[in-house]
Amino acid sequence: MQGRKEATIGILALQGAFAEHQIALQNKVDIVLVRTVEDLEKCDALIIPGGESTTIALLARLAGLLEPLRTFLKKKPVWGTCAGAILLSQAVENAKKGGQELLGGFSVTTARNGWGSQIESFEAPLLVDGLRDPNRSFMGVFIRAPVVLSLNPSPHDSPIEIVARLPAGLLPQSQRVVMPDEDDTDPRDPKTIVAMRQGNHFLTTFHPELTKDDRFHEYFVQKCVLPSLK
Amino acid sequence: MSTPVSTTPSQLTSNGPLGAAGGASSAVAPARSAPREGGSTSLGTFGVKSGLAQMLKGGVIMDVVNAEQARIAEEAGACAVMALERVPADIRKEGGVARMSDPAMIKEIVDAVTIPVMAKVRIGHFVEAQILQAIGIDYIDESEVLTPADEEYHINKHNYKVPFVCGARNLGEALRRISEGAAFIRTKGEAGTGNVVEAVRHQRSVMSEIRKASVMSEEELYAYAKEIQAPFHLLKETARLKRLPVVNFAAGGIATPADAALMMQLGCDGVFVGSGIFHSGDPAKRARAIVQSVTHYNNPKILAEISDNLGAAMVGLTIDSNLKGGRMAGRGW
Repeated sequence: MQGRKEATIGILALQGAFAEHQIALQNKVDIVLVRTVEDLEKCDALIIPGGESTTIALLARLAGLLEPLRTFLKKKPVWGTCAGAILLSQAVENAKKGGQELLGGFSVTTARNGWGSQIESFEAPLLVDGLRDPNRSFMGVFIRAPVVLSLNPSPHDSPIEIVARLPAGLLPQSQRVVMPDEDDTDPRDPKTIVAMRQGNHFLTTFHPELTKDDRFHEYFVQKCVLPSLK
Repeated sequence: MSTPVSTTPSQLTSNGPLGAAGGASSAVAPARSAPREGGSTSLGTFGVKSGLAQMLKGGVIMDVVNAEQARIAEEAGACAVMALERVPADIRKEGGVARMSDPAMIKEIVDAVTIPVMAKVRIGHFVEAQILQAIGIDYIDESEVLTPADEEYHINKHNYKVPFVCGARNLGEALRRISEGAAFIRTKGEAGTGNVVEAVRHQRSVMSEIRKASVMSEEELYAYAKEIQAPFHLLKETARLKRLPVVNFAAGGIATPADAALMMQLGCDGVFVGSGIFHSGDPAKRARAIVQSVTHYNNPKILAEISDNLGAAMVGLTIDSNLKGGRMAGRGW
């Protein structure tokens, strides 16, 4: 993977699986674990890891990071995995009572815990064209994962590129738009989307950091981070 | 900081988390339609079980006894809640047999919050575990805080789709639980005391034994595995990683933000707080401060700010032979 010394990638280290992202990127780029505004200022790009979105949002507010993060999002590349994807969403369903704070930045509506409780958490192989070695499937690990409900880019937003989808037959029944005997492979169904890119922002509803496969990390560096430094 | 990524002990995966009942064709989700276009999913793999624990890292899991407390915990930034009928301090005070909570009460808590909900079963009580799996709980704690149901056998945790967390006082005990299928370990401490001394003892034991193992030759590891009664392959994996192969939280006696940060600096991944929150003067404020202390555990300046004016901490107990309710950490083997 290229990018060493060329980029400093921050990993939001308030709560969750930030150490796993650190391992996936170590020796490839410079890494900063971000817990304060000063940490954030050192970064060219940011990863928001999996964890609990309500906890991360609260800790971000208490650390005075919410507005600096929103400003960061307007200028620099950000990748959200799972809870991170929820925080990047414009709107979420199944939010905690009374609603929860988001960062926004990605023109998408998601549902938290879209597949159900932990018993419905699963692994599924994904075939992803944009990755190195695209014929080798990538094991997607979905843990109480969010589901994409709709894409709502306005005309002045960057277009959204769908990077990976689940086969529609794998959607939980409660999330089906079409009945099983209809055409449930409809590529327009947003609920099958599990990875997408909008400008230099990247969003995955699953956890590439829980596998040894670093191709999604490489994708983020190549497609989002390095172009933003030119 | 190292991490338990991709450290699924090979024997765990090869047997499959569905155990004997799963068989070779268990890769397909029963609740979902048949896979097509080459896709297939696996529910309840060891990867998703230990993966959820990885998502909880750097967080605080709080004991709650009703939906109202669960909401306070969620608002204070808990990364999960533990639903139980009585917190450990009350179990000590009131005595009697402590059992799994009423499923109706657990379901109320599940409906009240969006964060993961855990619940406790008695050691060895595999039917309580079946019931909790049936109501869709996110994690089961096979806990010494409840009265053990079996004094010889722990639950075979491979047989469940729902993941388990178990207590341990030392490395051998932790690895025995992992070999039974636990996807998450917490050091036991002494629950319901508000006294952190046992939590420190157990976390220090685990860390010191890992450091010892990490410099051993293979011959020495064989002998050490026998000494601490741990499965050799898990000990070898632990020595290679220089940490437990699953996430390790601290528990049992944590009552202040400083206690939580102490446990983090001693090398654990997060903390459970039981009686320490809802037996204190201002639960919401203390809960939030403990959540912050786990994030900023290495920053004394922030720790000082968040420890200001938290109100009364829970009353702590001296851990000696007169301890009411006895020592819970000795339960389990």
